[in-house]
Amino acid sequence: MAKIHSMMDIGKRSMMNSQTALQTVAHNIANKTTEGFSRQRVDQVTAQPVNEGRLQLGMGARAAAVTRINNPVLDKQLQLEGGKMGFADSRSESLARVEQVFNEQQNKGINHYVSDFFNSWRELSNNPESLTSRTMVKEAGQALAGDFKRVFGQLTAVQKDIDGQVKMHVDEINKMTKEIAGLNEKIANVEILGNPANDQRDRRDLLLKKLNEKIDIKFAEGDNGIVNVSTAGNALLVTGFDQRNLEVAQDGQTDRNRIYFRDTENGTPFEVTERVKSGALGGVLSIRDSYIEGLKDSVEELATTIANEVNQAHVEGLDRKSRGGGVFFEVDAKAPSVIEGLKVAEDIQNDVGRIAAGSHDKSVGDNTVAHVISNLQYREILDEGASTFDDFYAANIGQVGAIANQANMDKASQTDVVKQLSTLRDSISGVSLDEETVKMIEYQKAFEASARVIKTADEMFETVLNLKRL
Amino acid sequence: MRVTDKMGFNQVTSNLQKNRSEMSDLQNQAATQKRINKPSDDPVAAARVLGARSDEKMNKQFLKNIDVARSFLETADVSLNELTENLVRAKELTLQAANDPGGGEETRRITALEIAQIYNQAIQVANRKLGERYVFGGFKTNHQPFDNSGNYHGDDGDIKIQINKDTYVAMNVSGDKIFQGQGLGGDGIARQKSDTPKSTDELQEYKQQEFERNQKKIERESQPNNVELRGPASVSDTRRKATRVGPPGEDYDTVGINILQTLKDLEIGLKVNDKEVIQESIDNLDQAISQVVNTRAQVGSRIMALTNTGETLQKQIIENKGTASSLEDADLFQVVSDIQKGESTLKATLETSGKVIQPSLMDFIK
Repeated sequence: MAKIHSMMDIGKRSMMNSQTALQTVAHNIANKTTEGFSRQRVDQVTAQPVNEGRLQLGMGARAAAVTRINNPVLDKQLQLEGGKMGFADSRSESLARVEQVFNEQQNKGINHYVSDFFNSWRELSNNPESLTSRTMVKEAGQALAGDFKRVFGQLTAVQKDIDGQVKMHVDEINKMTKEIAGLNEKIANVEILGNPANDQRDRRDLLLKKLNEKIDIKFAEGDNGIVNVSTAGNALLVTGFDQRNLEVAQDGQTDRNRIYFRDTENGTPFEVTERVKSGALGGVLSIRDSYIEGLKDSVEELATTIANEVNQAHVEGLDRKSRGGGVFFEVDAKAPSVIEGLKVAEDIQNDVGRIAAGSHDKSVGDNTVAHVISNLQYREILDEGASTFDDFYAANIGQVGAIANQANMDKASQTDVVKQLSTLRDSISGVSLDEETVKMIEYQKAFEASARVIKTADEMFETVLNLKRL
Repeated sequence: MRVTDKMGFNQVTSNLQKNRSEMSDLQNQAATQKRINKPSDDPVAAARVLGARSDEKMNKQFLKNIDVARSFLETADVSLNELTENLVRAKELTLQAANDPGGGEETRRITALEIAQIYNQAIQVANRKLGERYVFGGFKTNHQPFDNSGNYHGDDGDIKIQINKDTYVAMNVSGDKIFQGQGLGGDGIARQKSDTPKSTDELQEYKQQEFERNQKKIERESQPNNVELRGPASVSDTRRKATRVGPPGEDYDTVGINILQTLKDLEIGLKVNDKEVIQESIDNLDQAISQVVNTRAQVGSRIMALTNTGETLQKQIIENKGTASSLEDADLFQVVSDIQKGESTLKATLETSGKVIQPSLMDFIK
């Protein structure tokens, strides 16, 4: 038989359920803009009914669980594509800086100075007697060496800048892995009681996505909802509640920041730099260690070949006073690379008369050697006799442009992919104000109705209690 | 599809950003008037622009070279014209002196004085300078090529000037060729040497050749019949006639007329009243005149070649500029119309954005 107090009880629990639901609505609305948040909903089920004779009486509803609405497969894909985007993004950013070093659309660069240098020899061949022409050759030579140094220096500066980025990225990675380990613990503690740890899981998913944008990680969820994260082959960053840092240290030889990992607290650190292939870190490392190094080698090859070829011709000649020509370009023996030590020979800097323009004894008007040197500009010397200096450099510029262009396009398309996936995720897990408003009204009405039930039950009690007075 | 608030906001921001970045690109193109502002804008074109620019610079330099060569050659031309006039005058005087039946010793002595004057003028022409440089001294442009007795102190160097890729023109004729008739071609014309070393290997070879050639010259000069004989008109002196030594066809094997020596001989001949010498001088002067005229023709044809190449270069420079411009310059009309298009797109985006973001159920529930 139905009882008034159980009616009151149903009403009371229903009010509580409505409050729970309304609180969840409030939580959703409050987190409308929270990054990585998945909307939550209350799973409401009917309460255990009671059997009374032939009747089964419903006992109202109860809130079974608060769950989040998300698609784990989509999240996983988003994490994966995010890694590729981080890679494309950081590459395109660094390449834009590299490209600026070679930008001859707006600045004077090596192409300009190579032209000027060889034209100065042509001017000298017009007038080998003139000290002015000779000074021009010296100046053009110095300007050329100077611009080689500028390019080399700016490329090194980009590498240095990337060193800083590596440090920064690794710091962030360590911070994130630490938080993931902490979240592992919280999730395990919450879920052992059987409740899903919605907010913590959202946060952990977001962190994993961000982590993957920085560095290529592998992760899998194990028992108790714990996620283990590894990177660069076998560097275990997060195992259960424990976390290990990646370390950054300068390599003694090249002064580049490199990445190390140690298995145990006091273990020997082993290098993992080469194994980082993706994410923002992989992107900048690929630019720093392979691309810029390659460019430097090319520029170095160009400078070395120009200096050698000019010197070979120059030593065959005779200077203004018919002394045998020395070298035109000198390389400081202490410098770590040819370009860094490249300069016009001291002799010539002190006395432009030492420039050897001719090959005949006591003939200041002879310009044979000046011709040979100016001719170098269109002799195919580089690439095993296939390219002139100009061709070689122009091909380099073309390549720099093409690679930067490719990186920009990769970035744009990858950004689009991620955007689409994010939209998809928002469509599933995002908070809709309209929806929440409707729910709010719905639960408010339910709350009101439940209150009305209690009031009715109360009136019923009163009726019962008033029976006696009659 | 379930549409949530965040989707709307994200879409609005990304659309606005896209429009704005397109506009900023276009604005940059309009401001710089260039389609390519960094290599990645068009890598192939960026590389080709560099090539066109180097070519333009090189061609401009060639034009400068041509100007230098032309002024040098024109000076030579004017000088040789003067020399021709002097030689013609000398020939007239000699003819008079030879034919004048009543021409006595006295008249010839006076003629001799005039010839001496012509000789001096010839020396002056031979020592002509352009700026600080002697025009007829070969490579030795800083020393006076002829002394007063007509000895040559220069060399036979051809100062080559580059007027185009792989094209060289000698901007001088060395004094030993014109004035002494040394090293003329088989037909007695002073030509420029054809070889200009273009690489270090060729330079080494060239130096070796020049060394051997010098050795030969020294050898030849040291042979007894080549010893210069000083003194009064020596009729048998073969050196002053156009003589072929060595096999025909080989360069630098013909000895032409030594003009200065001829004038000197004539002067002495007139002074000592040696009819035979005077007679012979007429022939020699004829040959001398044709020697100078031939050389002038050479100089003239070189100047013409320079002018022609100059015109070609001018055209090439315009072409180079055209190439660079078509590769890197922005089409302004295109850019401006694109900007207008972008502007209206941006406005439309802004307007619709307002509508997308604003309404929600909240606005309708009181």
